[in-house]
Order: sequence, then structure tokens, then C-alpha cells
Amino acid sequence: MTRKRKLRPGELGNYFIIFILPALIIYLVFSIAPFLYTIFYSFTDYTDMNPVNLHFVGMKNYIKVFQTPLMLTAIKNSVIYAILLTGFQTMFGLPLAVILNKKLKTRNLLRASFFFPAVFSSLIIGYLWSFIMSSSDFGLINNLLHQLGFGTVNFFTSKNALYSVILTQVWQWTGWAMVIYLANLQSISPDLYEAADIDGATGIQKFFRVTLPLMCPSVKIIVVTGLIGGMKVFDIIYSMTSGGPGDATQTVMMVMMKKGISDGFYSTGSAFGVCFFIIVLLISAVVTKLMGKWSEAIQ
Amino acid sequence: MKKKLVSVLLCASIVAGMAAGCGNGSSEAEPETTDDGKAKIRMTYWNSEDTVKTLLEYLKEEVPDVEIEFQFIDNSNYDTVVDTQLSAEEGPDIICESPGSALKHARLGYLAEVNDLGAKYSDAGTSVYSYDGNVYALPGISWFEGIYYNKQLFADNNIELPTTFDEYIAVCKQFQDLGIKPLAAGLKSWEPMLKNSMAFVTADYLSTDAGKSFGEDYRNGKTTLDGTWNEYIEKWSSMISEGIYTTDMTGIDHDQALEEFATGKAAMFCSGPWDLDTITSKNPDLQIDMMPFNGTKASDGWLIGGPGCGFAVNESSKNKEAAMKVLEAISTVEGQEAFWQDNQGGSSYLDGAEFDLPEAYTSVTKTLAAGNVYCPWNEWGEAAGAHETYGVEMQSYLLGEQDISQTLKDVDTEVKELLEK
Repeated sequence: MTRKRKLRPGELGNYFIIFILPALIIYLVFSIAPFLYTIFYSFTDYTDMNPVNLHFVGMKNYIKVFQTPLMLTAIKNSVIYAILLTGFQTMFGLPLAVILNKKLKTRNLLRASFFFPAVFSSLIIGYLWSFIMSSSDFGLINNLLHQLGFGTVNFFTSKNALYSVILTQVWQWTGWAMVIYLANLQSISPDLYEAADIDGATGIQKFFRVTLPLMCPSVKIIVVTGLIGGMKVFDIIYSMTSGGPGDATQTVMMVMMKKGISDGFYSTGSAFGVCFFIIVLLISAVVTKLMGKWSEAIQ
Repeated sequence: MKKKLVSVLLCASIVAGMAAGCGNGSSEAEPETTDDGKAKIRMTYWNSEDTVKTLLEYLKEEVPDVEIEFQFIDNSNYDTVVDTQLSAEEGPDIICESPGSALKHARLGYLAEVNDLGAKYSDAGTSVYSYDGNVYALPGISWFEGIYYNKQLFADNNIELPTTFDEYIAVCKQFQDLGIKPLAAGLKSWEPMLKNSMAFVTADYLSTDAGKSFGEDYRNGKTTLDGTWNEYIEKWSSMISEGIYTTDMTGIDHDQALEEFATGKAAMFCSGPWDLDTITSKNPDLQIDMMPFNGTKASDGWLIGGPGCGFAVNESSKNKEAAMKVLEAISTVEGQEAFWQDNQGGSSYLDGAEFDLPEAYTSVTKTLAAGNVYCPWNEWGEAAGAHETYGVEMQSYLLGEQDISQTLKDVDTEVKELLEK
């Protein structure tokens, strides 16, 4: 019988490196390296007309980003989209989850119904809502309005288009937020509610004093993923408005695709990407900090 | 120690494997062949294989020693994919090029000159594919866009076809008075107003002696839209002030507009031969014809259009000779006819190749015979892509967010940026 050699401190880590290495290499090659290249290209004159002889141009591309109205509009729209979508799905998802956590006969059916839109690709949802919101006689909403004697509502004017898109996304993703909240709700010990009952707390008091503070982890997930996902929005805009009318619904990803790739301004697109990365980093940092403070306050 | 050595070897093999995967399989330029010795070439196009089915069958018989692998790449990614492949020297052997991309690729030295074959085509077709005195692509069947109209609605209401822009506005008003939508338009897309307004500018300015050199001057940075086109767009904007184009239309997409026209809810619809099958399949009883766009003076009218795609050969193709053989076969009356079969309605730029027009284009026969098919942005050289900006800016103009001057200025800025790239 051979005796197992006792591992020296730190020796086990060497074996873990072997397990981590394949994933690490893939991550470095397909994520970190392209990102570093993006930063490098953002300081050059790389375009489709000049793909080889690159020159250092300093901050020129970054200045161009802030002097291009389209890019500023895109950042503004992406921020509005991310904040409103995250805000609404956080607000609507929680009461929905609390209601569907109660012992209702149709509970499972209702849960499935609310979650159902999240199963579909945003592209499909976009084309579907595009048809529903159409100003033509074939548009479902306008058809109903006409039958009730009202005039046509154009959901796709410069002022309405972005909010019309947000509406569809709140419809699609509130069910997803509800599922996250439900998982969190089910992890709250019933003892706490019993204790609250003994203390004579009302239903509303129990929600604000017991449920809400303990929902912090799920709110954190929904807010952080919602904001980052919202900032990167592309497919729903592409299928519903293609960035129009005019530039009313242009978002960061739409403009990056057009300017940075289709028009061949690779270096400007890279600078725009780096700026976008910094904005997302700042938003994530602020949100994480705020959420951290909320967690601390509860404890 | 032994385990450390194993782990180092493992890591080395992973890295080596990845490096090998990223590398180029072969650096030698050997022509690619099939098992039965045929030269194998790849051809890319942004339209589906159905649009070149007869042509591919013809080429299979006509050039038996070449096997063509057709590759469809969606239009929205076409330029990006082809640009990337060409810059990596792994591009397709035959590339279907738009005039703008052909010019760019010619400048970058990606395309082989096709002067000898180009001489078989009319200048109208090859001029947009020429760079520095050489022809780099052979024009395919032309595309055009006009105004489809419901013949029955015109006949039932005794409305004559317009021959001038003012008459056209009057016709639209007549339909409005009858409670019929005059023009179905999917203004969610930037395309309809781009083509409609540019057709008017073509008829009233670009086709005149004063405007003939505008395209050349514009791409050379000698002139701008703002200050030149204002008066024409001002006149054309009665399409908006008379309620023919409405702000509600920004909530309608192309397919929904087509549906309105096909089901008889609208009297007219701007489009081209690519939509004819869809329209007639939705309503086989619809009596349809196409009228041209008009300017303020009576003429044969104008259609927006040009060479649909240009066939170009990759300069670094390993099978350049085979690719040239294919282009030679396309540059015959039979080759053009085979291509036309799946693109009926368009015409060929090859000398001696003439085809009958389908019945749905009776009212544009004179326009086509006069050669009044023109695509203004094809003349903008490397800034041709800015036509999309023009369409987008026209949407903002329709929605009352900016005036004509600002609309045109924004396009000028984009064009300048693209030309200086």
C-alpha cells in the first residue's frame, strides 16, 4: 500500500491551472485580444480603403466620435432605452412575482403565460409588433381604433418610435424578471412571515419590511443585466425600426454596425466601441456600488 | 517533475493546435480542382440562387470544364463579408459588385481588368464600373423602379396617366377626393422617398445640360447638394404638402404598403420587377402596369435604375483563367438571355441583346427605349453609400424636424467624409 504524498501549500493550484488553461486561452484569443486590438485600432487610421498601412493618429477618432451627432444620438437613445426598460421590468416584475407566488389555481398557467414572450427571439417579437403597431389598415391596434371611431395613431414618429420599441420589450422581458424574483421569493424563509404575523404586521408592511429587503440579490441581477443588455440593444431595433425614422431610434450597436463596419470606418468604430465600453463600465460600477449599499443597509 | 513536464506539453499542444487552426492551410497558389479535374470557382451574390438559376444551368453546359459554387450572402452583410475575404486574399473568384464597391475594390487592386470583354457592352453599363481608364466589372441585367398602378382603378374613374409632375399631383388629388389612397408607401424604410425625389431631380435637372456633369463634380468635391438641389426638392415636396406622403406612413413598412396596393386599397405603389410576382400572387386578378416618374416638363419619363450587379474577377484568384471563361460565356446574347430569364423586366447592356418586356411594363416601353433609366448615386463614386443617409434625412424632413437645406447639408457632410476616407 502506497502512502499518499502530502501536498505542499500552493501545489494544488498548479493542477487547477491545467483545467483553467483551455478556457483561459479561448477567452484570451477571442475576447481579450480583440478588445486590445480594438483599443489599438482606435488610435490609427484603419479604414476599408486603408487596411494595411496604419498610422498613429492620436485622439482624432475619439474627437470625431464626440463631434458626430449620430453617435451622440445613439448613446443618448441607448441610455434612455436601458434605463426605461430596466426600470419598468424591475417595477412590474416584482408585484407580478409576489401575486404569482400566492396559492392561485391558475398559478402555473399564468406564470407560463407571462414568461412565454421571453422564449422568442427579439427579432420575431420585433416583426410581430411591427405588424401590430402598423399605421396601415392591416395594423391590429389601428384597425381596432378605426372601428371604435378613433383616428390613426402612428407609433413610429420621431417622438414615439423609441418608446414603442421599449413598450414591446417591457412586454417581452417582464416575465423573465418575474421568474428571477420568484426564485428569490421562494428562498425567503416562511418563519420570517410567521414572526411578522405574530408582531401584527399587515400585508403591505410584510412586503416592504420583509419581502423587499430580502429581494436585493434578484433586483441586483435584473438591474445589472438589464442595464448592460439594454445598452447593447440591436436586434429589436433592427427588426422594428432599423434605427428610423430619421435617426430617432439609432442605438450604439446600430451605429457601430453602420459606421464601424458597413461604411468601413473601422478606427472610428473602434473608438466608439471603447467609449461605449467606458460608459457601460461606469454605469455598472455605479449600480453595483448602489446595490452594495442597499445590501449593507439590510444587514 | 514528470507531471509538470506533462502539463507543459499539454499547454504547448493546445497553443500549437490553435495556432495551426488560425494559420493558412497552404501558401501555394495552386488552382482548385474537383475530383473529375474541373476547375472549381466560387461566385458570390447578394440575391438568392433563384435569380441566377437559369444562368448557372447555362454556364454548366457552356463552360463544362468549370464548376461554379454559388454563394449567397445577405445584402446587409455582403460588402463586409466580401471586403474581409478579399483583404485576406481569400475572396471569391467571381464577385458580383455594385458600382460603389467595384470602384473601391478596383482602387485597392483586388479586381482584374476586363477591358476586352467590357468593349462588348454599352458605355452606359460599363462607365459605372470603370476606374483609371480600365473596366473592372461587366454589367448584368439592369434594375429599375417606377410607379406600379392599378389599371382598373384608373379606368373605372376615368383618370388619365400623368405626363408631368403637376399632372401626377392632380391625379393623386383625384384619388384622394374619391376616398382612395393614391400612393401606398412604406416610409418606415428610407428607400421610397430617396428614389421618388431623386427621380424628380433626374428628370428636371440631372438629365439636362446644366445637370449632366453634377455626378462627376459631386464625387470630385466640386459641388454640393445644398445650394444645387434645393429648388428641385422644394418643388418635389408638394408630394408631402399635398398629403400624398404622410407622416403616418413612417409606421408602414414595404411589405404592408405592397399589401395595400395588391389588395386594391391604394392606386399606386413605387417598386420594380422584383415585387411583381409577390403582387400578382397576392391578387392574381389585379390589372397592373407601370408608369415612369415625371418632371415638370412632359417627356418620356424617368425610371430609377442601373446595372443590377457587375461581374468582376478577383485579381488574386487561383482560377483566374476559368473565371474569365465564365465571364466570356456571360458576355454573349445567350448568356444575357439566361440571366434575364430570372430577372425579367430589366434590360441588357450587351450590344445586340434585346428582350421583350412583360405586359406589366407596357407604359414604360417608351421610357426604356429612350434609355431614361438612371441612378444618381451610382455617379457618387466612393460616396455612393451615402444614398442611405439621403433617404434617412428625407424621413426627418417629412417629419418636420429639419428644412430642405439642413437635409441636403447632412448628406453633403456624409459624402465628404466618405470621399476623404
